[in-house]
Amino acid sequence: MNYDPSFFITLGIFLLVLLAIGFRWVHETAAVLSGAVAIWLVHYVGGTFFPSLHIIGFDEAMAFVDWNVIFLVLGMMIFMAMFSETGFLHWLAYRAFRLTRGNAWLLGLALILLTGVTSSFLNNVTAMLLLIPLTIQIAETVGLDPLAYVIPEVLAANIGGAATLIGDPPSTIVGLHLGLGFLEYAIQAAPVVVISMLLLLGASAWLYRREIAGARKRYSAALIRQLESGAQIMDPSLLRKAGIVGVVTLFLFFVAEFFGLPASVVALTGATWLIIWVRPDMYRMLREVDWTTLVFFIGIFVLVGGVKQAGIIHWVVQIVDRLAGSSLDRAMVFTVWLSGLVSGVIDNIPFTVAALPVVDLLNQALPAAQGNPVLYWALIFGADFGGNLTYVGGAANIVAVGLLSQAGYRVSFGRFMRDGALVVVTTLLVVTLWLWIRY
Amino acid sequence: MGTILCATRGGVDSQPTQRRAISLAQERGNRLVFLYVVDTTFLNTVAAPLVVDVASQLRQMGQFQLAMAQEQAAEQEIEAEIVIRQGPLRTELIQVAQEVQASLIVLGYPKGEEARFDEGDFQNFIGELTAKTGAEVVIVES
Repeated sequence: MNYDPSFFITLGIFLLVLLAIGFRWVHETAAVLSGAVAIWLVHYVGGTFFPSLHIIGFDEAMAFVDWNVIFLVLGMMIFMAMFSETGFLHWLAYRAFRLTRGNAWLLGLALILLTGVTSSFLNNVTAMLLLIPLTIQIAETVGLDPLAYVIPEVLAANIGGAATLIGDPPSTIVGLHLGLGFLEYAIQAAPVVVISMLLLLGASAWLYRREIAGARKRYSAALIRQLESGAQIMDPSLLRKAGIVGVVTLFLFFVAEFFGLPASVVALTGATWLIIWVRPDMYRMLREVDWTTLVFFIGIFVLVGGVKQAGIIHWVVQIVDRLAGSSLDRAMVFTVWLSGLVSGVIDNIPFTVAALPVVDLLNQALPAAQGNPVLYWALIFGADFGGNLTYVGGAANIVAVGLLSQAGYRVSFGRFMRDGALVVVTTLLVVTLWLWIRY
Repeated sequence: MGTILCATRGGVDSQPTQRRAISLAQERGNRLVFLYVVDTTFLNTVAAPLVVDVASQLRQMGQFQLAMAQEQAAEQEIEAEIVIRQGPLRTELIQVAQEVQASLIVLGYPKGEEARFDEGDFQNFIGELTAKTGAEVVIVES
């Protein structure tokens, strides 16, 4: 192992970026972009005087960017931007309220499942932004502390996100890296996600039994009117078009493997079709695409490219290999729980991008891992489910806590962790057992 | 007749503030205005696809929170008005206070992790608020 200055400088830059993200010193995108730029400056400026400071050049770094992930996220964002304007999820949540006749138990069950399923197909943050404000209002209408619904919804979003290739960034990044098709991914992930969701429902019912039992049985007519006014289908024509495009795109995702279509091309096909059909204001449409997220993804791929070139990934693999003692089972358990723990305190996207090459090398180093994807699944589930540990563990958590705060409900670190830790430990146990039995 | 302006986010944390504003309106026979300020700054450190119109989601939620505050006031036979604004809390609060010609401003001061101001900053803000609006300021700790 060659510990030259570039190794320590890159390691320092990477840790600094993780700290900046973890402690929210700056916007996540600014943090990874600063890291990528710092690596390039060291490479070009420092490397001119001291060749040992060559880390990774611009062209080399671009080869590390997974453009399939970038364009998949872009395509999904365009679709989500238009879909969110239909008001469909609000309408659905309100229908759940009407259908359950405000029964707090059934309502909680419906909202948690709705969030879990929505998060399987839409980004978790989008699901939170669309569902949480209305959930808060529904909870207040039935006289319930909104935390009793919102926290389980956040946990459901992170669990549900693991159900499909497009649900959560770790699933997208690792799934596409493995070349998994949409259907293949869903079949492999379904048992773990379904069992985990059932456990979440049980845990939520138990944790919030007192609050739910004390819910109001009669509601104010004025509040119901207010609730209803915010739960209308805003644009039925757009909903019809987005629905048709959504279903066809989903079908394309399932058959993409047969045609060798990359997931990004499928997502862009759906987005482009919808743009041509709906003819939105293109300037507004493109402005609504969240470019900071795309830059964040590119920055993190570049940063991890530098980390890999500096030999840090190889160094980590040696440590993990030593700890695992060449046992695949031990490596699997280690990957699940370490991914879960780390993703519980820092954003799971940089962690997944950084951990993926570690898993690649580990897979080559362990004889029993040849042709066995267990470590990749350990990373997917660990990173997806681990985000539930604390409220800084995932963007969806931060957004939900922010929305609660906007409605005058404080969620402390410990308060979130009371539910999050229980669910993370339970679901990671399910993952460990499932992977052990299945692989 | 004076005007009481009560800045609120609704929810359990704002209940003492709302109750205080309502009881002051009752005592003084003043007009009562509830204000909700849409604040999206909590999204400033998150890199996630924010393709949803967050401000309109929060505006809708704010409308509901203020409808609840209105109901609470109506139970005490006070007819409250509502105002929703978007922007920095300080600026919007001062502006609305001037617009409604508030004689009294009731503010909640949540302590702990979710406090919007630290102690010194809060005192400065109160000074600024009093100077720019000429209104009396009542603080309700929660």
